[in-house]
Amino acid sequence: MKLSTVQADAIQELGNIGAAHAATTLSQMLGSAVEMSVPAIKAIDISELGSYMGEEAAAMVAFELQGEIAHGGYIVFYISRESAIRLTNTMLGLTDMNRPMNEMDESALLEVGNIMVSAFLDATAELLGFIMLPSPPALTIDMAHAAMSSLVAQMGEEIDEVLLFSTELVCEEHKIDSDIIMMPENTTLARIVELMENMMKGI
Amino acid sequence: MADALKPDEQTAMIGIGEYRVGSFPMMTIGLGSCIGLTLYDESSKIGAMVHIMLPDSAGRQDRPGKYADTAIPLLLKELGIKGAKTKSLIAKMAGGACMFEYFGTNLNIGERNAERVRAILKEQGIPLKKEDVGGKVGRSVTFFPANGGKITIRRADGTTGEL
Repeated sequence: MKLSTVQADAIQELGNIGAAHAATTLSQMLGSAVEMSVPAIKAIDISELGSYMGEEAAAMVAFELQGEIAHGGYIVFYISRESAIRLTNTMLGLTDMNRPMNEMDESALLEVGNIMVSAFLDATAELLGFIMLPSPPALTIDMAHAAMSSLVAQMGEEIDEVLLFSTELVCEEHKIDSDIIMMPENTTLARIVELMENMMKGI
Repeated sequence: MADALKPDEQTAMIGIGEYRVGSFPMMTIGLGSCIGLTLYDESSKIGAMVHIMLPDSAGRQDRPGKYADTAIPLLLKELGIKGAKTKSLIAKMAGGACMFEYFGTNLNIGERNAERVRAILKEQGIPLKKEDVGGKVGRSVTFFPANGGKITIRRADGTTGEL
């Protein structure tokens, strides 16, 4: 679906609130400040996905959006491989940047992703009264395009364009750069837009 | 790697659902559950590459390169136009991985993609000479029609391979 400026602004506001909660939880886990960007919304033709998500190695914790809408799309905690090591090193009290990632890293990343995405979705549920529940998390540490395109493939054969809705969360102190990326499928998107519009009319 | 074949500025990047036909190098980056399929005719040194996302078009015709069932007939037609001989074509494929182990609704799309490609190639009588599919790993694939249809593969962990 095509979004008007007002609708895009509404979604951006929703992202602000969700990401602010996620940033708070990350900040608590790291014990240092976390800054967030203004949420970006991009409608990307699937053939162009490689220009946005390429071969770079990243850890991605993905959740299917469930709840009122059964297969509502995906939400992903995305963190570059370098930042992921810094994050788990900070959490586990390690310093070696050049080590291979192991099961400890994987559980830590799953846990961080879980906490942040839950905070994001809790905040949006509270705001909109629209329940999006995260599925159990699935983690991969691999090429960004390989993972993200696999999620797009799961969204079905009619998808030619994907809406990437992302907010960057940065911890300057530990040089950790991460993103929360939401890829709502059309029913979810339409429902979010409708609820946001109603809410803004009410104000 | 001893072989110096590397993608360069002449290399055509092939996004999801796209395809190219010719003798220049072609590349698909970051294949997950998608398939990078190549067809190559040794006699004319012409090849084709397509970036398939799903096994079935379910009747959709607007993006034939996106689905295995529409992509392969499309490549055969385009290769024929460029002068390749269908009878001497050989196929290679890579991708078809399962990047995320668990989802409640997870059907293994990578595996279904690979199976569908194999079945259609068999129907068309095109030998599948080599493949590097499955597992839980992303792959970038470069195809060199001018160099005997060679394929180089790079994985996220830095390991490389050839088909």
